[in-house]
Amino acid sequence: MIKVLFFGPVADRVQTREMDIEYATGMTLHDITHKVGMLYPGALSIVSFIAVNQEQVHDKQTALNDNDEIAFMAKFSGG
Amino acid sequence: MTEPVRIQEQDFSQDAEIAALKAASKRMGGIATFLGCARDFSEGRDVSEISFEAYGSMALAEMRKLREEAIKKFDLLDARIVHRVTTVQAGDNIVFIAAGAAHRGPAFDACRWMIDELKQRVPIWKKEVTPHGESWVTQHP
Repeated sequence: MIKVLFFGPVADRVQTREMDIEYATGMTLHDITHKVGMLYPGALSIVSFIAVNQEQVHDKQTALNDNDEIAFMAKFSGG
Repeated sequence: MTEPVRIQEQDFSQDAEIAALKAASKRMGGIATFLGCARDFSEGRDVSEISFEAYGSMALAEMRKLREEAIKKFDLLDARIVHRVTTVQAGDNIVFIAAGAAHRGPAFDACRWMIDELKQRVPIWKKEVTPHGESWVTQHP
């Protein structure tokens, strides 16, 4: 299972903070972003960063493993 | 002794943080600090409170990396970063950064660098509550 997390403005837009997606062999980050985009049209437009297991990832072809944690995040505004 | 990098709901004591920083080395000749606090006015409107949200595990890991990088980059003797994640009112403390070095130059530079980097790299978001509703802050002034 892949755990998908949403925070801040993104969580508000998708109206949830967490969802699980069934893992399949050969799955990439692109598969997850595509699925999230289909489920929540418009949500990805405010996503500036994606993290896999707490590390920012820029390559959508990044291979995923079962139990990975993926976070969709808007631009940060701490401090 | 508290951890040098923390995310917490409760307020912090600048005196306690500086004392902990000083305890790291007697060679420290300059300490620069940054205190970020909540304003009651932003973007032309009154702000009654600000609520923070964080991707806790990643934010803490990124803040720890940031401290390590600052210590190496500016040859610091120690550094501390504390960020509150809760709802705050105008005037309340939000973030505290301290950089301790042998001399003032690197301490000032490192302190400025750490808060600038924190804003760019650490997954924390703030939402301002105004008389007209709530809105997430996206800019980095």
